[in-house]
Amino acid sequence: MSNNRLSIDQQLEKFPKSWPKFVAIFLSIVIIYILISITITFKGINPKGLMIALSAFKGLFTPSLSLITNLTQYGLLYMLFETLAIAFLGTVLGVVISIPLAFLASRNICPKWVNSIVLTIISIIRAFPAFMLGIMFVKSIGPGAFAGVLSMTVGSVGMLSKLLIEAIEDLNPGITEALDAAGCSTFEKIRYGIIPQLSSNIISIVLYRLDINVKNATILGIVQAGGIGAQLIFAIGARRWNDCGAMLLGIIIMTLLLEWFSTSVRRKLAGSKD
Amino acid sequence: MIKDFLHIFYPQTYKLANGKEVKEKFNAAPYITIIVIIFAIICGKVTGFDLPRMFARGKQFWELIGKMFPPNWAFFSSMKKPMIDTIVMSLLGTVFGCLLALPMSFYLSANFKLNKTYLTIHRGVLSLLRTLPTLVYAQLLSIVIGTGTLAGTISITIFTYTICVKMLYEHIETLDMGPYEALQSTGASRPKCMIKAIYPQLRGYFYSTVLYCFETNVRSAAILGYVGAGGIGVQINEQLTWRRYGNTGLMVLVLVITVVIIETISRNIRKKLVQG
Repeated sequence: MSNNRLSIDQQLEKFPKSWPKFVAIFLSIVIIYILISITITFKGINPKGLMIALSAFKGLFTPSLSLITNLTQYGLLYMLFETLAIAFLGTVLGVVISIPLAFLASRNICPKWVNSIVLTIISIIRAFPAFMLGIMFVKSIGPGAFAGVLSMTVGSVGMLSKLLIEAIEDLNPGITEALDAAGCSTFEKIRYGIIPQLSSNIISIVLYRLDINVKNATILGIVQAGGIGAQLIFAIGARRWNDCGAMLLGIIIMTLLLEWFSTSVRRKLAGSKD
Repeated sequence: MIKDFLHIFYPQTYKLANGKEVKEKFNAAPYITIIVIIFAIICGKVTGFDLPRMFARGKQFWELIGKMFPPNWAFFSSMKKPMIDTIVMSLLGTVFGCLLALPMSFYLSANFKLNKTYLTIHRGVLSLLRTLPTLVYAQLLSIVIGTGTLAGTISITIFTYTICVKMLYEHIETLDMGPYEALQSTGASRPKCMIKAIYPQLRGYFYSTVLYCFETNVRSAAILGYVGAGGIGVQINEQLTWRRYGNTGLMVLVLVITVVIIETISRNIRKKLVQG
């Protein structure tokens, strides 16, 4: 027993050496310094920059009331609703497309060759950033919220189906077998065996994606695909800080409300499972 | 038949053989479905959704993709710089954002019992900042400090910071506090306890968070070029407007391949981090 015990010197020797860590840190600092020096050029702060920053900051706290109370197509509320509508419709259509795709790509439902084909399609779709789909749809379908909806739809399919596949592959086959033994028809097996197992998972995945889509929809406007983004960027560019403040306030409130809603629903679903 | 269908909307009562009545549980699902469908139709009206137009113009989408191939390889030399800018911007933004977030997340997690008012205020400000897209920061910064990659890097740093802090402090709150208390009982100072007892538990999660942020930043950094904050986004739009489809095809291809490579590498590393 006493042979196994190490002396203090031996223990110290066994301790992992610290110099490789320091070398790694030093090297990464050097690499970061090189990267900064080749790409980032600091032209100095715009002399008016601080003034602009100050007035921008002031604008955020004095949002223009005329924009908020304007209920027509150019008002804040309509723009926010349009943004929400793009995200919502995109998510709903994305779910409609990705549920069958996910079933086709799950190993416990379909044969292997079908899985690999569908998985390849999904990973190709996933690789396109949302705004690039936006540009392509705007160029082919024409500017407007409709292009935004389509790019949201295609953009959501990748992530949604990937998460859905995980949920479907976790399905417990015992339940459907038990229903089979009880003499249920295929429809009844789906209704009482599969849907109850999947529904809470699907809802939480969809709400998570809706959150992301609303965030994406606010910037999609910049490629003329509808939503609040274009107006916001124009307002900042033209230095209409009061309008800009109102829009930022609207975006913040909408996103926070949606986040609160989706986390509370998801927490409730997660709680009801156990 | 219709009666069977209507039974979906209200709980049914069954009469058992012994005369007892059993009521079904109330099910909200059909009502929620109807609300979602109605809201989707309203959204369709607002966004001008129409299927015939999609099928009529959908052909143009495929034509657009068809025209992009074969890509014009000669254009590679002039797109190299913005592409590297995009990647470096997101890399630097991720590194700085995460390095700032690491110490701050210790001070923002509730299990060290630090100042509660400060904690609530800081968390509130962060969740406000998190709602704004990177593009807004980039546009504001490019007015203040001038257009260029610096504005892009700083805006990515801010965005990464807000996200990374939240992910980290939520994870720290689930960690085992035993080693921390043991170290404190030996008389070690608070920062030292955090570094020696909490950080080793956090390390794997921290690295995987950094990689996750890098992945998402590369996707979102591409768009920053629109407001003059460096990156490839604006060039894609320019070339597409000038109908140089070969050039666009090349840029799309390079961007997609880059995203796929980065994603594959980071997913493999993260899988190892989770296991080890």
